[in-house]
Amino acid sequence: MSRYIIRRLLYLIPLFLGILIIVFAATRIAGDPVRLMTALNPHISEQSRINLAHYYGLDQPIYTQFFMYLSQMMAGDLGNSYAIRGGIEVTTLIGDYIGPTMQLQILAMSLALAIAIPVGIISAKKRYSKLDMTVTTTSLLGTCIPVFYMGIIAIIVFSYILGWFPPGSYITQISDTRNYFLGNPTLDILWHMAVPTGVLTFAILAPIVLLVRSSMLEVLKQDYILAARASGLSERVVIYKHALRNALIPVVTYAGIYFGGMLAGAPITETVFNWPGLGRLFVQATTKLDFPVIMGITVVITIMTLIANLITDITYGYIDPRIRME
Amino acid sequence: MFNKQVGLIHAVDGVSFSINKGETFGLVGESGCGKTTTARAILYIDPPTSGKINFEGKDIVSIFKSKNKEEKLKLRRKIQYVFQNPYASLDPRMTVSDIIIEPLIIHKLVPKKFCYQRLYELLKLVGLEEYHAERYPHEFSGGQRQRICIARALAVEPTLLIADEPVASLDVSVRAQILNLLTELQQKFKTTFLYISHDLSTVRHICHRVAVMYMGRIVEVAKTEDLFEEPLHPYTKALISSIPIPDPLAKKTRIILTGEVPSPINPPVGCRFEARCTYDKDQNCVKNVPKLVDVGNGHFVACEKTKK
Amino acid sequence: MVKKILKIENLKTYFYTWAGIVKAVDGVNIDVNEGETLGLVGESGSGKSVTALSIIRIVPSPGKIVEGKIIYKGENLVEKKEKTLQDIRGKEIAYIFQDPATSLNPVFTIANQLVEVILRHQKISKKEALEKAIELFRLVEIPDPEIKIWNYPHQLSGGMKQRMAIARALASQPNLLIADEPTTNLDVTIQAQILELMKNLKKKLGMSMILITHDMGVVADTADRITVLYAGRVCETADTKTIFYNPKHPYTQALLTAVPSLALKTEKLNVIPGSIPNLIKPPKGCRFHPRCEYAQQICTKKIPELTEIEPGHKVACLRATEINLKSPLGGSNN
Ligand SMILES: Nc1ncnc2c1ncn2[C@@H]1O[C@H](COP(=O)(O)OP(=O)(O)OP(=O)(O)O)[C@@H](O)[C@H]1O
Ligand SMILES: Nc1ncnc2c1ncn2[C@@H]1O[C@H](COP(=O)(O)OP(=O)(O)OP(=O)(O)O)[C@@H](O)[C@H]1O
Ligand code: SF4
Ligand code: SF4
Ligand SMILES: [Mg+2]
Ligand SMILES: [Mg+2]
Repeated sequence: MSRYIIRRLLYLIPLFLGILIIVFAATRIAGDPVRLMTALNPHISEQSRINLAHYYGLDQPIYTQFFMYLSQMMAGDLGNSYAIRGGIEVTTLIGDYIGPTMQLQILAMSLALAIAIPVGIISAKKRYSKLDMTVTTTSLLGTCIPVFYMGIIAIIVFSYILGWFPPGSYITQISDTRNYFLGNPTLDILWHMAVPTGVLTFAILAPIVLLVRSSMLEVLKQDYILAARASGLSERVVIYKHALRNALIPVVTYAGIYFGGMLAGAPITETVFNWPGLGRLFVQATTKLDFPVIMGITVVITIMTLIANLITDITYGYIDPRIRME
Repeated sequence: MFNKQVGLIHAVDGVSFSINKGETFGLVGESGCGKTTTARAILYIDPPTSGKINFEGKDIVSIFKSKNKEEKLKLRRKIQYVFQNPYASLDPRMTVSDIIIEPLIIHKLVPKKFCYQRLYELLKLVGLEEYHAERYPHEFSGGQRQRICIARALAVEPTLLIADEPVASLDVSVRAQILNLLTELQQKFKTTFLYISHDLSTVRHICHRVAVMYMGRIVEVAKTEDLFEEPLHPYTKALISSIPIPDPLAKKTRIILTGEVPSPINPPVGCRFEARCTYDKDQNCVKNVPKLVDVGNGHFVACEKTKK
Repeated sequence: MVKKILKIENLKTYFYTWAGIVKAVDGVNIDVNEGETLGLVGESGSGKSVTALSIIRIVPSPGKIVEGKIIYKGENLVEKKEKTLQDIRGKEIAYIFQDPATSLNPVFTIANQLVEVILRHQKISKKEALEKAIELFRLVEIPDPEIKIWNYPHQLSGGMKQRMAIARALASQPNLLIADEPTTNLDVTIQAQILELMKNLKKKLGMSMILITHDMGVVADTADRITVLYAGRVCETADTKTIFYNPKHPYTQALLTAVPSLALKTEKLNVIPGSIPNLIKPPKGCRFHPRCEYAQQICTKKIPELTEIEPGHKVACLRATEINLKSPLGGSNN
């Protein structure tokens, strides 16, 4: 198993480099960084431009620039912002924003898996029952409706009409500690998280329910399930031991891919909920053409997606011995 | 790891695994022994790594390696293949008429206006009706689909027809229909057949000569009667004795092989049957690759201990 | 009088599909005597597996047993509760499936799957169960059982997997073993090994057995009696020798002559025209009539009953006594 993990890890390195090259090239294609940096100050002299370019190493050949970026990145330096908070270090900036993103995404993913798997199983077991019909219809809806749309509806319903939850942001602005929900900052954050988490969970959960259900139905048709029944094992053991493990194989793959997708979709969801995460930072950076920040966020999201992939692969290997052993 | 069994192809033309014109030649052996690989090498689907395959006096390998498009196309026409699984080998989006007419057009065998006439002829030949022509493969039973495959292969008037387990996926009663059809066609057109199967009973039924394969090597070649009446290689003996005889009163002297089939990735150096062989084996068997030698009457055996 | 361990009476198992009701098993009668091997033969789709799955009541949905009795040791299994059935499955009646590659769960080790079944029916510790599992491996002649038991199914060859499946079936010393085409997917030399093994084990453990197959060669060699199924109904039941030498049902005879065999080298194989009927709308009267060369007007209307024409020889053909069938083995030799 450890050899399998090492193999997977080694495989990630070229993948990561490849993505970096593409993103790096893309930001360069978008325009001359010096011009972008000074866009807000059009009267700057040509000489200052050249000085700036030299200062940032932008007069070097592109591959040298890439290797410079790479070596700085290894040292934990992602450069400085062009436009946010007076040229703050990108790493510091990302450090401030990554927490809320991870909180939201990981919580939503865990909740979604915890709910989707049992619901999918029950739905498969009681195929064509009323319950199954309800579950499949709801999940289909959840799969079709885009997250941002779902988010807007949820905000309208739960904040403006019902008034149960705040319409967005991370925490109540502190003018008075008594303004916190129930007077406690942690509870206040949770209170703010409720709607975004709910919406995100539902969005992730819906396709997974459908996947668990169909995968389970497929597995229940297999001979080894009949064989397990034929040896007198109880229905509980047949379903939760023999069928589930096999049914989860496609689910794990999907969850991994989906997690990456959710991170990439963070700019939209976080804007809808006014959530102070990497996604919103990304949107800000884009509007200001702040390429070091864009690049930095992309690097972080890539790393997180790759980690999610690695976790998927490891889980996959754990569930399916045929993969583990090649 | 996967070497395209160079030795085997050498055995095919170098020794005596030449198929005579107009005969049905059987290639038998257990799953994974390399029957399909051999067929694919002959068709140049999996080109052999080395070795020669002579077909009508010419070397297939060098023709396919050359740039002579015309010769290649001619070969593709002359050697036809019927696959094991009639479900997978027909394009589900093509009607039967498309399936059969396509090769006629590719190889420019009949003028366009006579295509349909030829199509109906072929359908009749394999026992299908004219109204079947406009149907899709999924509308047919397994046996009928295999008939379509045979019609497609025969459409281009091949000189060699390779049938790879054509009846393995069919039902007992349907199997008989297809086997009879193959025998009939063979007698009618004198087509040369390479019949590949793991089922010795059907091989005995339709083949003139048979080669037995074990782990990528030919271990015995003989006329069908000789092989079944007087098998010489210990593997052939075990194989034949293992076939269940549908007669409760028949005397059975089964040779039950013990031991596992060795891994094909790391095969034994000498005789590949050594681990399961029931003969008095010795060092020779472990060290030397037994050569396929003629023991008279066109009967070839590759065993150190069988030398008449 | 021999004791019957299993008696199936008028069993009907239907599948309720979108296309219609598939009458997969439609009035089947089967007896299994204590200690004997009953061969259940018939073409693909004749209802062999569905009959067998019905016995232990694990017909997959949308299939249902709609009528009939399954009397095992005097008790009707059709009326039993699921809990009681779970205690019977694997302990009293065990099952071996056709394809060893798919009947073992790919994600658990062999040890895991074997120990689980042993613990299900026996009150022993895990350690004892593991010892027992290794013992069973020895019984089915697997070399190095202590090592092989920790393998996953995909690490074993087909023959080994089937041995492992046999070991699992024998774990609690069942009284009746149902083997559904246990060797169909194996090579001939391996098939010979497995059949030999099963014969020996049956003798050693004193079980009764139902052997399902479409291979007439396999039943000739292994079965004491044979029941021939066609399109969900029984055509003929008799002892093995009678079925082969003195068949009374045209389908039985056709089956015998359609098989290319080493014993009978004929020029041309006998062909049964057509193919097995659609079981949603099976032919009226005798289900074999569209393919039967002896069929007459009456066959299209009247359903032939399974009747005893000689002691122990039952046939379901309206013309059984009129027509004179010849066995390819040389006809009646009684
Ligand atoms: N594409 C491939 N890559 C690697 N190994 C292969 C490939 N194709 C075949 N083999 C191996 O070559 C050997 C011969 O395979 P082949 O398909 O020729 O066997 P066969 O005799 O036709 O068996 P069967 O009766 O199962 O069809 C096998 O051990 C198989 O695993
Ligand atoms: N799940 C199912 N849904 C619908 N029909 C089914 C189902 N399972 C089996 N049948 C039908 O029941 C009939 C009998 O099938 P069964 O599996 O018993 O055949 P068999 O005699 O075991 O054949 P084989 O030799 O191919 O195993 C077939 O016509 C089949 O189509
Ligand atoms: S060469 Fe030796 S091992 Fe091989 S078959 Fe002959 S006697 Fe057996
Ligand atoms: S009842 Fe009629 S159709 Fe049926 S088997 Fe007998 S003769 Fe043939
Ligand atoms: Mg093959
Ligand atoms: Mg079956």
